[in-house]
This record gives sequence, C-alpha cells and structure tokens, in this order.
Amino acid sequence: MLDIKDLQASVEEKQILKGLNLEVKLGEVHAIMGPNGSGKSTLSQVLAGNQAYEVNGGTVTFNGQDLLDMSIEDRAREGVFLAFQYPVEIPGVSNLQFLRTAINNIRQHRGEGEINAAEFMKQAKAKIQQVNLDPSFLKRGVNEGFSGGEKKRNEIMQMLMLEPSLAILDETDSGLDIDALRVVADGVNALRSPDRAVVMVTHYQRLLDYIVPDYVHVLAGGKIIKSGGKELALELEEKGYGWLGLEDNAESEA
Amino acid sequence: MTQLSSLAVVEAHQLNSALPSQIQTLQKNAQEKLSTLVVPTRKTEHWKYSAKRLGDLSLLSNNSETVSTTAFVENAIYIDISAAGIDAAALSEIEESGLTLQAFTQLSDEDCSAIIELAEYERGELEQINTALFNDGLVIRIAKNAVIECPIILNFVQDEAGLTTPRVYIELEQSAQATVIENYAIADVDGAFCSSQTTALIGDNAKLTYLRQNPLGSAFRIGGTTRAILKRDANFESHILCLGSAMARHDLHVLMTEKGSHCELNGVVVTKEKQHYDNHTEIEHIASNCTSEENYRCIADDNSHIVFNGRIYIHKDAQKTLGEMNNRNLLLSNSAEIDTKPELEIYADDVKCAHGATIGQLDEKEVYYLKTRGLSDEQARQMLTLGFVLELVRAVPIASLAEQWEQTLSELLSFKD
Ligand SMILES: Nc1ncnc2c1ncn2[C@@H]1O[C@H](COP(=O)(O)OP(=O)(O)OP(=O)(O)O)[C@@H](O)[C@H]1O
Ligand SMILES: [Mg+2]
Repeated sequence: MLDIKDLQASVEEKQILKGLNLEVKLGEVHAIMGPNGSGKSTLSQVLAGNQAYEVNGGTVTFNGQDLLDMSIEDRAREGVFLAFQYPVEIPGVSNLQFLRTAINNIRQHRGEGEINAAEFMKQAKAKIQQVNLDPSFLKRGVNEGFSGGEKKRNEIMQMLMLEPSLAILDETDSGLDIDALRVVADGVNALRSPDRAVVMVTHYQRLLDYIVPDYVHVLAGGKIIKSGGKELALELEEKGYGWLGLEDNAESEA
Repeated sequence: MTQLSSLAVVEAHQLNSALPSQIQTLQKNAQEKLSTLVVPTRKTEHWKYSAKRLGDLSLLSNNSETVSTTAFVENAIYIDISAAGIDAAALSEIEESGLTLQAFTQLSDEDCSAIIELAEYERGELEQINTALFNDGLVIRIAKNAVIECPIILNFVQDEAGLTTPRVYIELEQSAQATVIENYAIADVDGAFCSSQTTALIGDNAKLTYLRQNPLGSAFRIGGTTRAILKRDANFESHILCLGSAMARHDLHVLMTEKGSHCELNGVVVTKEKQHYDNHTEIEHIASNCTSEENYRCIADDNSHIVFNGRIYIHKDAQKTLGEMNNRNLLLSNSAEIDTKPELEIYADDVKCAHGATIGQLDEKEVYYLKTRGLSDEQARQMLTLGFVLELVRAVPIASLAEQWEQTLSELLSFKD
C-alpha cells in the first residue's frame, strides 16, 4: 500500500533523507529504529505532508496514488494518520470539536453521510476510556496542559476515532510508564487488521514485545541501512548501532 | 475646538427635579465642568485612535423611548433601563431577600452620600457627559452576607437616534455576592449614542461578578465606564464581550483600595467591516497584598480597528502586589488595525508584575496539526480563530450565557464563502 522509493528530503537547506526506500504492504507492521537525528521524524512528517520539509527527490506511492502530490488533509482523508512525536497544544479547541469535523470530512470523502451526534459521543467516550483518560479530556483544549504521557495517549485516542488505514506512530512509546505503554500497545493492536498497516518509530525494543512487528528497519544517515525481522530489534538492543558501520556513514557525510 | 457644553443636547438638558438635591448639585457641577472640556480630537489624551469615530455629536438629542427585550438567561431578574428613566413601580415588584432596588429619585439625601463620594473618581469626557445628563439612575444594593443566586440583568434599551445616559450604582455590603449582567440593546441607526456609567462599591469580603455585552452594529455609537472600588478581601470578576460598531469605547477602572482584594478582568473583542472597539482598562493597586489578573483577546477582520490600552498603576503603599496583564491579538486581514498599549506604572518596590501583548496571525503548527486530522485549511483556521477567543468565553460563570457568546462568536467568525 505504501511504496517509498529513493526519497530525499531537506529542511532549512540541510539534506536529511538521502535516498530512502521502504515498502509496506497491507496488514504489516513495520518498526523503524535508529539514532537520534537520523531522520525518523523527518520521514514521518514528509509522509503526513509537513511543508517545512522539502522533498527533493524520489517517489511515494500510497494505494496507487502519488502521496507527495496530495494535500495534507487529503492524505488524512485517504487514511494516513500520524501520531506526533511532539503533539501540538491547541488551547480553545477541544478534541470533541475537531474530531467531529475530521470524521465527517473523512466520511464525506468516502461518500458516506455525517456521523450522528449521539453515535459520535458514544464512540468518543468509549475511545477515551480505551486509552485510560478521563472523559473530561474530551472537552479540554487539545493537549492543553496534558502531561507527556497523556498527550501520547490522546494521539492514540484520535487514531482509534479516525480508523486510519496507515498509522504512523512517531515515538508514541517515549515517555510512557509501563501501564500507559500497555494502553498504547493495546490501542494499536486493536487497530491491526489485514486491511491496515502500521509504521512505528521507536527507540525501545520493549514496545515490540507488545506490538510484534513483521519487519524492523534501521534508519541512519537518512537511509534504511538494515532491515530484518523482529530479532533485529533484540540485536540492536544488545549491540547498539555501532556494529552497523554508522561511523563510516557519518564520515561520508562530512 | 467644540466645547462639550455647547452641544445642543447639553444645552437643552433639564435637571430632573425629582432627584435628591445632592445629586442635582453633582450634576450641576458636572455641567459646569463640561464647559472646560472639548469634544475629543486625535490630540486628546486617551482618544488618539477613537476621536474620529465619535461622529457629529452636535446632532444628538435626548429622546429615546422604551422597547421591551426578550429574556436570555433563565432564573434571572430583568430590569429595563431606558432614556425615559427607571420604572420605580416595576422595581418594587421584584422581591429577592437581601436585594434592594431603587431609582435615584427614590433616594434620600443620606442614601446618596456614597454616590457623591465616588463621583470623585470620575474623569474623561464620556463620564462627564453621563454625570451631567443622566435623567435617573438605578441603585442595586446587596445586604450584608446576602448571596443573590439569580443574575441581575440590566437591559439598556435604546430604540432610536439620540443620546442615552444610563447610570447605575451597585453596592455590595460585607460578604455579599451578586452577578450583574449589562446588556445593551441599541438600535443600529446613525446618531444613536449610548454613554453609560456603572460604579460598584464592593465591600469587605464581598464578590461581584460583572458581565457586559453589546450588540454588533455599524451605525450606533457606544461609550461606557465601569468602575469597581474594592474593599478588604473583596473580589471583582468581569467578563466582557465587545462586538464592534461605528464607535465603541469602554473604560474599565478598578481600584483596589484595601488589603487582600482580587480582580480578574476578561475581555473578548471582535470587529469586522469598518467597525471599531476601544478598550481602556486601568487597575490601580492602592493597598498592599492585592492581586489582579487581566486577559483581553482581540480579533480584527476586514477594515476594522481595535484599540487596547491597559494600564496597571501600583501606588507606593501597594507592596506585595501580584499583577498580570495579557493582551493577545489576531489580525485576520491586512487592512485591519490593532493598536495595543500595555502600561505599567510601579511606585512600590516589592511587587510582581507581568504584562505581555502580542499581535499576530494563527500558529501554522496548529493549522498543520488539524489538517493532518483531515480538516481543510479553512476549517482549521476557523476553528483556531474561534478557539482563540473561546478560551476566555469558557471562563464565563453562567453556562447559558457562555453558550450564547460561543454561538454568537462562531457565527461571527465563520468564514464567508
Ligand atoms: N524544522 C527543522 N529545522 C531545522 N532542522 C531540523 C528540523 N527538523 C529536523 N531537523 C534536523 O534534521 C535532523 C533529523 O531530525 P529528525 O527529527 O528527523 O530526527 P529523528 O530521527 O526523528 O531523531 P529523534 O530520535 O531524536 O527523534 C536533525 O539533525 C534535526 O536537527
Ligand atoms: Mg524524532
């Protein structure tokens, strides 16, 4: 469903992605690991359509369409969802307010009618409980004054409401306590199905005990430099990134 | 330069002989003072941005009639105030334990002493006009320890051109509590000018919640002064919805005269087309250990113009003052204008005072976030614009009024096709 070929992207004149290849098929879960600053968030943001990143090479095909040519909102309506590494705080706009509009846009895009108000409320309450947040969070400003872990859970709550076909989770597990990690993992697993795919960026093998990936990739220096099964994550946990020859990579950069 | 005293409406004014003699004296003095005041121009202090909006005051006369308005908050006490005066008979029908409502004309000379004393604080052209010309006034008195649960709604009604000068005096005795809502129902016609004055004396440990809303207009002009005098441990909370008109001006003056008092001033200002709104606020910390918090948010669209002049004045004895003022502004169009001027004057040394003012556009990170959830650019911007002011509306303590304000604002800020 997602085919990334030779993707190159820069931010503020700095080349970050330098020919990245990745193919994700329906039903698969991919984990992306890699050192700080290697370009994991850049990849996530480029897929979501963040204009701050300039794509200067390569292609991304999503369900047969040119993803890079689509507007941010159309990507979302086609089923792309990004759980942000650093979710934005929006005081004054509540989850309830924008999720309803979001869901209706997505439904309209699919040629479906608007969601009924009672049904929407029922779902919102169910999903917020599913991520172990108090229902009062629905009415508060989006992420306003939420703790780090609450913000991450709120991202998952949104994901559960919007039911994307491609969920990209950028370090959703960072800063979570053990219970919250479970909650997030359960949320993702609930969404897992043969007609969806998940790409999750993480630094910790621990998450992969809960959400078992089909593939693990190492992103370093703007490229996927190694791919493998879930055992690759264990190997990384044990040995770090050094054995992959990252130093060489850094040198060639300089 | 035009002398205010030479305006036809001033010259034609006849003192209401039913008013207590002390009040008549106050008014005569005010009329004399008018002869030293001129119609504000750009050069007049505090009128820099708004003088040209005043219109031709020489055309004003004093001739409005009463119209009725509809209820908009449940379980509230409604009082209509028009140029025709205060309906004393209607006032006497309102029965609420601890609450006394009277027209100025019903007062004895002793009853007036606080009104006369507090007139000392008066200043500015609009206030002088009000004092010189009001026909009658309303007194709201809350007895010691009385908590008036139902909001008291003052409907200022003006259904045609002319000048109206509503006048209100509110007094809360020790540990009393009340909520007063000022609603302005002014016909949107050229030459309609309403200039109100409300003074509230808030006793020891008493609390006044004050709300004020005026309609959106293109022709009428409105000016008003609200002054709150806080005694020991008193509390004043105000929420003001400012919708633009041809000229709109509100002066809010808070005096914290004794230890331990607290005020919280919230204002939401929205103007469109060629509208205007000028807020001048001043918080005077006179006694020590008082706290003040002010939040005004303004949105100007089209060719409209908003002025915010917020002053915190900390007198030399006002040690241990905590003062915070925040003014944030959003410009929705290149031809809209917002002038903001926070002013701090501090004469005490042990104070914590912060102020900030920003003028800007929407945060693109927030727009982006909402778009990644499937909102269109327009939907995202509209939601964020509304959210910018709703943050303050959510603090309005009367739920049904907060809902109406939210409704009004969401209609006002929904984008044109
Ligand atoms: N908006 C930006 N402006 C300037 N530099 C940026 C911007 N966004 C990212 N970068 C830089 O691009 C590089 C890659 O950043 P990115 O956020 O993609 O890394 P990451 O792999 O997600 O790292 P982490 O594991 O720390 O989250 C970093 O050097 C970062 O400083
Ligand atoms: Mg990152």
